[in-house]
Formats: sequence, structure tokens, C-alpha cells
Amino acid sequence: MAVHVLGIRHHGPGSARNVRQYLEALQPDMVLVEGPPDADALLQWVGHKELQPPVAILCYQPDRLQQGVFYPFAAFSPEWQAIQYARERNIPVRFMDLPVAHVFALQNERAQRAALHAGNPDDAPPPLHMNNSAVAEETDDTGAMPVFAHDPISHLAAAAGFSDGEKWWEHMFEYRQDTGGIFDAVAEAMSALRDELPKMSRMEKLREAWMRKTIRQAEKELYTTLAVVCGAWHAPALQHMPKQKDDNELLKGLPKVKVECTWIPWTYNRLSFTSGYGAGIFSPGWYAHTWQYPHDDGTRWMARVAGLLRTKQMDTSVAHVIDAVRMAGSLAALRGYSKAGLEELNEATLSVLCNGEDVLLQLIHDALIVSDTIGDVPGEVPKPPLQHDIEKTQKSLRLPATAEMKEYTLDLRKENDLERSVFLHRLQLLDINWGQNHATGGKGTFKELWRLQWEPEYSITIIEKGSWGNTVAEAATKYVNSEAEKAQHLAIVCQLLAKALPAELPVAVEKLVQCIQNLAASNGDVVQLMEAVPGLVSVIRYGNVRNTDAAMVTGITESMITRICVGLPVACTAIDDAAAQKILELLYQTDDAVRLLQHADISVQWQQSLQVIAHHTGAAPVLKGYATRLLADAQVLQGRQLVQLFYYGMSRSNPPSMSAAWLEGFLKGNGAFLLLDPQLWQVVTTWVSELEEGPFEEVLPLLRRTFARFTPPERRKLGEKVKHSSTGAPLPAVADAAIDMERAQCAIPVVLQLLGIQQTSHE
Amino acid sequence: MSDILRQHAEQLFAQELEELKQQDSGHRPQNWVLAPQSVVTYLMGGTLPNGFEVSPKYIGNKRLMEIAVATLTTDRALLLYGLPGTAKSWVSEHLAAAISGDSTLIVQGTAGTSEEAVRYGWNYARLLAEGPTRQALVETPVMRAMQLGKIARIEELTRIGADVQDSLITILSEKSLPVPELNTAIQAVRGFNIIATANNRDKGVNELSSALKRRFNTVVLPVPDNTEEEIDIVRRRVESFEKVMQLPAEPPAAQEIRRIVTIFRELRNGVTADGKTKIKIPSGTLSTAEAISVVNNGLSMAAYFGDGRITASDLAAGIIGAVIKDPVQDKLVWQEYVETVIKTREDWKDIYRACRELE
Repeated sequence: MAVHVLGIRHHGPGSARNVRQYLEALQPDMVLVEGPPDADALLQWVGHKELQPPVAILCYQPDRLQQGVFYPFAAFSPEWQAIQYARERNIPVRFMDLPVAHVFALQNERAQRAALHAGNPDDAPPPLHMNNSAVAEETDDTGAMPVFAHDPISHLAAAAGFSDGEKWWEHMFEYRQDTGGIFDAVAEAMSALRDELPKMSRMEKLREAWMRKTIRQAEKELYTTLAVVCGAWHAPALQHMPKQKDDNELLKGLPKVKVECTWIPWTYNRLSFTSGYGAGIFSPGWYAHTWQYPHDDGTRWMARVAGLLRTKQMDTSVAHVIDAVRMAGSLAALRGYSKAGLEELNEATLSVLCNGEDVLLQLIHDALIVSDTIGDVPGEVPKPPLQHDIEKTQKSLRLPATAEMKEYTLDLRKENDLERSVFLHRLQLLDINWGQNHATGGKGTFKELWRLQWEPEYSITIIEKGSWGNTVAEAATKYVNSEAEKAQHLAIVCQLLAKALPAELPVAVEKLVQCIQNLAASNGDVVQLMEAVPGLVSVIRYGNVRNTDAAMVTGITESMITRICVGLPVACTAIDDAAAQKILELLYQTDDAVRLLQHADISVQWQQSLQVIAHHTGAAPVLKGYATRLLADAQVLQGRQLVQLFYYGMSRSNPPSMSAAWLEGFLKGNGAFLLLDPQLWQVVTTWVSELEEGPFEEVLPLLRRTFARFTPPERRKLGEKVKHSSTGAPLPAVADAAIDMERAQCAIPVVLQLLGIQQTSHE
Repeated sequence: MSDILRQHAEQLFAQELEELKQQDSGHRPQNWVLAPQSVVTYLMGGTLPNGFEVSPKYIGNKRLMEIAVATLTTDRALLLYGLPGTAKSWVSEHLAAAISGDSTLIVQGTAGTSEEAVRYGWNYARLLAEGPTRQALVETPVMRAMQLGKIARIEELTRIGADVQDSLITILSEKSLPVPELNTAIQAVRGFNIIATANNRDKGVNELSSALKRRFNTVVLPVPDNTEEEIDIVRRRVESFEKVMQLPAEPPAAQEIRRIVTIFRELRNGVTADGKTKIKIPSGTLSTAEAISVVNNGLSMAAYFGDGRITASDLAAGIIGAVIKDPVQDKLVWQEYVETVIKTREDWKDIYRACRELE
């Protein structure tokens, strides 16, 4: 029997072409491919017309989801081509790498050892987290392609006078048109390298042993011509078989865990180095181009570049393209290459099409060189039910998952848009942040702006959250319920509620309201209550557009505000500065919320509570000042009462720091208040002008401190106002009697027009 | 040594060019003195197969020089673009010297450059006496380059008025220069091309028309990437200046050059070398070329007025002159820099004192 080993580079279009040609000439009766044998069953899907690369095989440990590994394939991956060839000819194809089941088990063992070593096995962090860098680590370790990550090829490249291994490989093997004997050359080069760099990890030895084992197995099954597609680095190890006994020895007693696999869509962006995927490639878009058009001398590429630039309103003529192609050609000739590569084309683009400005090159990089292609996986592929449900909903709502960012402005008055919004909100609750909700401009609360961008990692989150339920609604409800039960802090539950209301999860909302009630009743901490109220109020006020029943929220909010009003005065006494500042901010928000609610009873309660604070001797001065100000704003405190409180607050008997804090609270916000509110203005100016010289010098630093917070233009205006009214004349008081009713009538239509109120309704 | 103040590149580096020509193995475009690869070697420096050392003329990214040379092999002209003092004219001179063996076919662009300076002029005495004849025609460097198949250089292209600039369009696209008075046209010989330079600061003064822009490939020459590269440039140029000027002064210590380069880089980037302190940026460009001239200036001061050893006070005047281009604003920037950055550096006391003395 003949074994033909085809050493390739993963995701190399040239390698892919060579593999295809070689296989077609060889006509093997079985193909072995480097990849996880756990996923052998998935290979039958290759050739299905809806399975469109880029796709990846995801292997995960169902009881330990942080363990996961991706094996991505693009159309220009040699492995993909080999598998496709086998499927077309109906000959068996198998993966031959060390099964992921063993890899995970080995990793778990190692992590446990490390944890034991550290002394506390419980607190040890899980070995891997589901983020980009972990994916990179994974692939490094389990070895989808360790060769190029550690890059022994750079030694060969350096010997040939190239600056990096990638480039050397590209010019030696990927751009080559004449492919005779290329696999022998690769194997020879690699065996020379392996002789020089003999260091191999245990994992790598195991992997190669398993590959040999798979080859022997195929031999036993009496296949006659065997094609083996593997990373170039492994080629020599598979050509020169050691004794079977040694391999079996090595592979004996490997630990094992349960592993599941599925196809998931992948993106070119995720294939590129830039997204932190250690074994990726720089330019998937370019590779796809060279795969599709192997004989393109740059003309077609430049035409695409020009097309892109034209869409961005850059004048790009055919003459530009001609010159750019020529330029790339002569650069390649200058460097002694037979064909212009991506670098030459980029440099030509920069100097011919972009006039030397590399901003545009970035655009070309994102749109063409990497490109935002996303793969497709047929619906019938066995996958977790939640994933299935999400895909179904995506289809019915016409919200396709794309790799590029897409914007949707949803009008919640339309049924389909409302459903979309609900769906996206539910996904957000499940931590699948596919859509990002952004603030919309314009009037009305019925609009939502969403930006959608699908990341392959979501597949993991979907599998993880799949344990909560088989549909999005069910999973979201159960997940929220469990989160609510876990939550100890009122603010967390309120946040959940704010998210759950637009997601239309009535069961979850009921549960949350109940949780809030329990927490609020048992909670003596006014601060927590105050943190929660503003969110709830905005739910009540703005929740109605979505037909959600906000009534149940209203009840608890009102009872919470009542509790706040009772507890607040005490909470404001005997506290330090930091705590006072925190409550100050909450006072502001709560006052806002109360005014938003427009509920007479509540407002009265609130103002009474503020009165208590303003008059309380033990309350923090900054809060007293602010309470006074809020009351003045609400027209509750006026005239003599206000002046009296002000003088108390600023009286000389207080220590200066107290007066300063009081004034800071009183003048919180920006200087415009002082400029526009005649009452405030009068109180402050009168007080200042009545001060005698000695006391004035004492309080001056305090005043400066407060006024320094205003912006320079505000301060300038304040100064101008003082100068203006410093003639000693009292401020012109707004006297009702001075209004000429007739003339005032004339102004009303103009004011109405300015406010945008239709006047016709009155007539 | 000849008594020419500054020799042309092809004279100064005649030996290097000769050696390169001997060793040249690549394909040589028609009328080129060297093969494109050798031109790049001439610019970037290197060792020839026979062990001859070629000195680097441009220190920086080799790819830029490759693009520049490759451009000249196509039928597009080359536009070198960058801040003042980023070696645009220097590169253009050496490119012309290496490609045509002649860097003297040059038109200096100014606001007053007329069409006669770009295309051709008339010898009016002959024109009146003989009428329009070939003998009465006054050739410009561009016209001569066309006839000889050489590189013509146009300095500061964007300073030339737009109407005059556009007279280059026919020359560049049809490679011919019509002379309607004689009912003839000069057709360019192979090897002809144009290298123009323009600087960023003049952007928008006389922006190239899009028709003309299309005839040029643009190569942007950047300011040096890092301090070491800049120090290397300054050191090399100062050494060659010493040779030309026959200065008796000692070569400046590397640390003096480092200090000047540091000052210039910090002011140019608006942040100190350690990246911790923000500083204001003066209005001048503070290019590498200016750093070179400051060192040269200091060398002359030391040689003729000092003891031959370059000191901080020899350099201070030059630095201040280079930084303060606007007497009001830049002065403030500089004072702030002296007080907040130079003063705090322990081993910069001498420079601080020297700067204070000059104020």
C-alpha cells in the first residue's frame, strides 16, 4: 500500500490548489486529514450546498463549557479541499489528529496538578476562558497549527534572505504556478528543520503518534492508496514510521472526557491575526481572491480596489488601475519575484491610487484584504436547540447574522420591529451581545437604534445558555429568574427589571417585582433604594410604548419612594464627606425621578422630607444646602424663609468648611442657574453686598472655591451681571401689576409658535 | 581636493557608482546607468560581491526607495512628498545621479517660475535676427533631459503656479514637447522621466490639478521613526560636512548629537522622550535637516571661535535659532521647554546655562 503525505500550510491557497491537483492525479481510495476524529461524523455535511465556508468545527465539553476548541476552514484551506474531494468521489475521509476528548482530559489533568501545586484546588481559576486569547492559546496547545505560531520556518526564510517566514513560504509555495514535486520539497525542507530543532513537547509527540496510528488502521482496512493531508511540520514524522509498539506504548491509558462537536459559521475577520487568533492568517480576503483567480496578475484585484474607492467618492479612473498594475509588476521585478504579491499591490495602491495617504489603505485592508465574509451552516446540522431557535427567529424576523456591522432603526409601533427589538433584548439578557442598543436622535420613545455584528464566539454562549431552555424566551425567563434569586443587591435586580421589561418576559418580570418588594422591605439602606428608583421611574414613564404592563412597577416604586422619604433625613446625618457626596448625587437623581413621576402625593412627601433635611442641624451641610436649593427650585421656599436659611447656612458662627460645603450644595450644577433664576441671584448678591470687609475676606476663599467650578464663560457672564447691577439699584422685581395685558396677548402667538404648539386648535 | 563648495552627487560618489556599474548584473532599462536593483543598493548602502562598501544615502525604509525606483521604470513620474527637511531633494538628487549619472537637470520651482523655465524659451536677439529657428530656441533642463533620455528634477512643484504646472501634462503623458513655432515636437528618448518634490506644509498653495496628479506616483517620505535612526542620519551628514569643509574641529561626541536630536524630536512630537510630559509644539518643522545644520553650525563655532571641541554653548545658539521661528509664540514655547524639561535633566545643566545666557 502507498501512503502519500501532503505537507501543507493551513489556509494557504497555493497549498490548497496543489492538494487538489495532486489528489486528482493520484486518485486515492482514502483521504486522511489533520483534524479532530471526534468530528468524523460531521464530515458527511461537507458538500451540502448550504454549508458554505468559512465555517468551523466547534468541539466542546458539554459539562465544562469553558473548554472549547475551533477548527476553522475556508474555501482556500487545503484540508477543506481534501475533504471536499473525498466527498465528491464518495471515498472515505477521516480526521487523524489526537482526539479532542483526550486533549481536554490531558489539559484538565494538568490544570488540576497546577491547582494542587498552588495549594488550593477550589479557588484555582479554570484553565481557559472563553475569549479570543484563550482561543488562540487553545489552538496553539492542542495544535490546530502550532508550526507557524512558533515559526521554525523563519529559519529557512532567514537562510533564503527573507525577513519573515510567512513571506518566504508565500513566495516559495503559495504563488508558485509550477507545482511538480512540491510536496517532496516541503517534506525535505521540514525534515531538515526537524533535525535541527529536535525539541518537541509531549503533546506534539502524542499527536503524531495518533496520526500514525490512524494511518496504520487504514492500512489494516486494506485501502491501497492513502492521501494524508497534514501541516508541513508533521510530514516527515508520518513518512518515516517508527515501530508500532512505541506508538502504542505512548498512547496507552490516555484519559478521556465526553466531547461534542458541531459546525458553526466562521468569519474571515476571525481568521485574521488581528482578532487575536494565534494561528490565523493576515489576509483572508486576499487569499480568497488568489484562490478564486489563481492567474490574476493584479488586474482583477486592482479593479476591485478601484471599485471600492469609487464607492467612497474617490475619483479612480481606468488609467489609474493600469498604472497601478504596472507599478506592482515593476516592483515585483525589482525585488526579483515572479509575480506581484499583496505587498507590492498595496504599495502600488498607496502611491498610485491613494496619493500616498495611508488612511485609504486602512479602508482597503478592512473591506478587501480581510473582508467581512461570514460562512453558512445548513439548518439540518445537529445543533443545540437554542441555537436552532435563534436561527429560526433570525430568519422569520429577517435579521440575518452578518460579520459586518449593520444598523437597524426599529420603529416600535410596527409589529415586526417590535418583535425584533424584543428578540434582541432577550438575547442581551442571555449575554449574547449581538446587538448593541444606541441612543437615537429625534423625537419620541418609539424608536430604537441597534447595531448588529455577529461574532463566532456567540455559538459558545448559546451552547452555554442552552442549559436554561430550548427557546430564547424560555431560556431568558429561567436565566433571569435564577439571577434574581441570587441577587442580594436591589440595584442589580432593578437593572434586570429594566432589561426584562423591553424583552417582554412577563413571568420573569413578575418574579423580579416580587424580588424587589422583598428586598426593599427587608432593606434598611436608603442609599440602595435611591439607586433603584430612577431606573424604575423611567420604566414607568417610558415603558408604555411597548404595551408592557408597567402598572405593577408603579405600585412598588411609590412604596419605595415613601420608604426613602422616611429614612432619608436620618441617612443624611452624621456622615463623612465621601458619603455625603454620594447621597448628593442620589438626591439629584431621585428629585429628577420624583418630578418625572408627576405624582402629587409623592411630591409632597418628598418635599417634606427635604424640608426636614434643610432645617436639620446635624445633616451634612452640603446636603442641607442642596435640599434648600431644591426646595427653592420647587417654589416651596421663597422670600424671607429662603433668605433666612441662606443666612443660617452661611453664618459666621459656622466653621468655614461647613459654610463652604453648604454653599457648594446650594449652588450645585452650573452657573446658568444663578444667572437665570432671579430669586437665587438676589439672595446671593444681597448677602455678598451686605458683608462687611472683615467677614468678606474670611468667606472669600469659600466663594472662590464654589465659583471655580463654573466654566469661564459662565463666570464672565456672572461678572458682567454684577457689574451691570452694581449701581445699587435693586433688581427689577417682576410685579404682576406692571404687565400690560393687551401687549402681552400679542406675544402669545409668537411664543406658541416657538414652542411648536399648533395654534389652530384654539381658534 | 577641488575648491568646489559642494559637489554633485555623481562627482562625490563617482567611485561607488563606477563599482556598482562594474558589478551590475540585473537587467538595465534603456539609457539607465545602473540596473534598478543597483540603484536601490546605491541609495540604501550595502556590500558588493567584491567586498566594496557602498555608503547609505537614505536611512529609513528600504521599501520606499524600491517604490521610488520602480516608479521610474514605469511611465509615471515620481512625486516625493513630505515635511521640509525629510531628505526629498537629497533622494531626488541621488536617484538622478544613479539612474542617469547626472543630477544637474533641475528646475527650481518658485511662485515666479514661468512656462519658459519648464518648456523652452527664446534667445530674443536671434529670434529677431533669424526668426523662429532651432538655434534661437533656449532649451530648459526638462527639454534637455527629454532629448538625452535622462531624469529631470523639479524642486518644490507645488510652489509653481497651477497654469505652469499643467504644461507638464503633455510632457508626462505623451512624452513629447510640441514647439508650435517651429511646427515640430521634441520627442523624449527612453530613460526620460521626472522627479518632483513638494512639501506637506505647502499643501493647498498650488494643489496639483487632478490631471497632473494622475501622472505622478506619490511617495511620502516620513520623519525618522526613532531616535537612533535620526542620530544615525545626523552623524553621517555631519561627518561628510566635516570632510567637505575641512574643519579642524573634533568630531562631535555622540551624546551631543543625541541631545540635539532628543530636543528636536520632543518639540516636534509635543511630548517628552519618556512619554510622560506634554509640551507645546513650535511653529517650525524641526526636521532632521535642521538638526544637521545645528550640529554643523556648532562645529564651525567650535573650530573658529572655540578650542575645537564642541560644547553646549556652541550648539545653544543654533538650537534657539532653529526652534524660534515666530518671535512671540515660539519664544514662549521654547522658554517653557527650557524651564520644564531641560532644567530638570541632571546631565543637561550645561545646555540649560548656555540657553539662559543667550536669552
